[in-house]
Amino acid sequence: MLKVEGLTVRAGTVELVSDVSFGIAPGERVGLIGESGSGKSLTALSLMGLLPEGVTASGRARLGERDLVGVPESRMKRLRGGELSMVFQEPMTALNPLMRIGAQVAEVLTLHGRPRQEARERSVELLERVRLPGPAQIARAYPHQLSGGQRQRVMLAIALANGPGLLICDEPTTALDVTVQKQMLGLIAEVAPALLFITHDLAVVASLCERVLVMYGGRVVESGPLREVFTRPRHRYTQGLLAASRLTPRGTRLPIIPGAVPAAGHFPGGCVFRDRCPHATPACATTPALTGDGHAHACWHPAD
Amino acid sequence: MPTHAGTPLIEATGLNRVFRRPRTSLTRPGAAVHALREVSLTVRRGERYGIVGESGSGKSTLLRLLCALDQPTGGTIRFDGQEITGRPERALRFLRENLQIVFQDPMSSLDPRMRVRDLVAEPLVALGLPVAGRVAELLDAVGLPASSAERYPHQFSGGQRQRIAIARALAPRPKALVADEPVSALDVSVRGQILNLLADLADELELTLVFVSHDLSVVRHVCETVAVMHQGAIVEAGPVDDVWAAPAHPYTRALLEAVPTLEGLI
Amino acid sequence: MKGGQVKGGRTRGGRLNAGLLAGGTLVGLVVLAALVSFFWTPHDPTLVDAAGKLREPGGGYPLGADKFGRDTFSQLMVGARTTLYVGVVAVGIAALAGVPLGVVAGMTPRGWLSELIMRVNDLVFAFPALLLAVMLGAVYGPGTLTAMIAIGVATVPAFARVARAATLQVMVTDYVLAARAAGRGRPAIAVRHVLPNIGSVLIVQASVSFAIAILAEAALSFLGFGTRPPTPSWGRMLQESQELLFSTPRLALWPGIAVAVAVLGFNLLGDGLRDYLDPKLRRIRAEG
Repeated sequence: MLKVEGLTVRAGTVELVSDVSFGIAPGERVGLIGESGSGKSLTALSLMGLLPEGVTASGRARLGERDLVGVPESRMKRLRGGELSMVFQEPMTALNPLMRIGAQVAEVLTLHGRPRQEARERSVELLERVRLPGPAQIARAYPHQLSGGQRQRVMLAIALANGPGLLICDEPTTALDVTVQKQMLGLIAEVAPALLFITHDLAVVASLCERVLVMYGGRVVESGPLREVFTRPRHRYTQGLLAASRLTPRGTRLPIIPGAVPAAGHFPGGCVFRDRCPHATPACATTPALTGDGHAHACWHPAD
Repeated sequence: MPTHAGTPLIEATGLNRVFRRPRTSLTRPGAAVHALREVSLTVRRGERYGIVGESGSGKSTLLRLLCALDQPTGGTIRFDGQEITGRPERALRFLRENLQIVFQDPMSSLDPRMRVRDLVAEPLVALGLPVAGRVAELLDAVGLPASSAERYPHQFSGGQRQRIAIARALAPRPKALVADEPVSALDVSVRGQILNLLADLADELELTLVFVSHDLSVVRHVCETVAVMHQGAIVEAGPVDDVWAAPAHPYTRALLEAVPTLEGLI
Repeated sequence: MKGGQVKGGRTRGGRLNAGLLAGGTLVGLVVLAALVSFFWTPHDPTLVDAAGKLREPGGGYPLGADKFGRDTFSQLMVGARTTLYVGVVAVGIAALAGVPLGVVAGMTPRGWLSELIMRVNDLVFAFPALLLAVMLGAVYGPGTLTAMIAIGVATVPAFARVARAATLQVMVTDYVLAARAAGRGRPAIAVRHVLPNIGSVLIVQASVSFAIAILAEAALSFLGFGTRPPTPSWGRMLQESQELLFSTPRLALWPGIAVAVAVLGFNLLGDGLRDYLDPKLRRIRAEG
């Protein structure tokens, strides 16, 4: 249902996301993994038409029959919060502190053409759907009266309000405590029609998604079914990231990836990982294509 | 300096910290918030002591008390046998020399308007210790080039900034290092570098480490002892492997179950 | 930092630089006029020339002459000197007194000293600056110095408040906590961490206060409580042209424009500096 082809995001002459292609089927939960500067959030924002000023996207992205890239803002406005919605990382700043919760949920409904009275009733149902206890009371509360986890549930209710076809979540649980995170992830898995879940945390993806895309330096370096990618990573970056994510017993050294993630626009040409890769050879100066059916990787010297 | 491995270095007894909300009524004082209730712990010399808790558990408050950056409303803290509670700042020199802290977010813990040289030398200057040559030595110890000294924090990546913060903490040759979520703000691919560095330095310098984290699996990698905090109290404490294998308190169990893992996949 | 914001920041920074440039140019013009007036003016600005009274512009008198035959252009140039002099001293007094008070109040937010400082501050703030100047003028006699002191004292609360608010923000940062853990005492934290980090806010406040001081001095001189004759002052030029406002409006127009240019210049400069020195934008520039 979502089909992205050759998505490229630029800020002036700097390419921040290069030639990203993937698809999401109805009901599918796809994880987009990346560290800071990988371009994962920009990928999501470009699908939402929410790129910051001066940043432009090119390529193709279609949700069902509708184009998402290169579409005028007026058209995107109707799609956002309708067929396509997003939950952000920071639940504190995403809600208007002066508006009651119920009114904020109802607002998204009226914006997309529901009559006011119906919207008010439906907003309580939505709060119930994201399993907020006492949804009628919550609807009358103000954001500061809720905990971080509750606020994030409200954000999810707002995102689900108009029955979207695709839900994009950008690190929705990073600011939450682990015990709250677990409930939130369960809830997202249950209610998402189709999901693009963006995170830096491999373990979170593992508990939620069926398929993963691994991004580094603005490129998808590996993609495939979660179990395959996590048990048999081909790209050296994925391999290193998985090794680094596992905490070995005390007294042993943790496996590391040398160096640091470069700042945006400072990744090497060719394979974006080659300046940190222990297997890099002169061949890596040429950009490797993302190849393979199902489980694809962009590496000249893949692991077996 | 003779080492006395196993003897207590930090002893906290019956710590309480009550914050008062701003008053909302003219006649009644503001509501009391109990950030810490009757917290006691002992950290021995050379030990790596982990404190695990979620937001609001009181771990940050406890940390500030241990570093004498805040005063408890009840209880006492002894560092190396000396009482540190209730002392004015000028009487805390022995503590400042021997206990240093590394914060979670190295961007906010490094003054953006100071050069790395001045940042790393700050504890030395503040305590009137000789600076000469020490900055280069420290930068080398944390794996940064000597040329870093002339640059500003924003010119470094997150992992490098945390190295700078560690170099600063080590400057006065402390006996103990308190690390408050030192890897939580870092990318996974550099987290290992910082944890390895901390472990190496702790070995080399025979540091006592107090390591605070929300993630029990990180604490398990670093520490041998752990205290689990919940709602301002320590609900469980003991050898980390025991707590990990057989958590006694329901909250510890909930915490362990909630942490997403890659176990079973790799 | 996401790459996207890099570009956003840069475009925003570019637009704001226009304000900074315009403000800088206008202020530069005033400063230049004041500096040149030390060495050269077309005529002696205080020279009374009965024959040339109300001389029309032209013939070595680019803006004409006033009712005493004094060259308007020369008076404007020397008047710029007075204006800047007043601004520098008044803002200097305000900053020297207000910043330490504000920093002390901000570093001990719950102490009695902080309470005391801020309440006295409120008292002074509630007292109109012009009234203070008129009172001081009545007691000590009118003059530039009296005006400067009055304006300066009246501006102290503005600096104290801004300094306190900025200090409160700096005091809750981790780097201040880190400095305390490193063993730094309060005075060292104030000098090494607080002042450098509130500097940009203070510079902005200074340039805005400068504009207010210029207006206040012009108003005081207009009322006869400011700069005394024969020293040229824009405010007094306005006052002296009052009776001729309908017959020879240019006499009021030129000093009016001069005041407007200076005030606008400092306000633009302040706004431009605020955006230029904003740490968030600056970090973006550095990373981009």
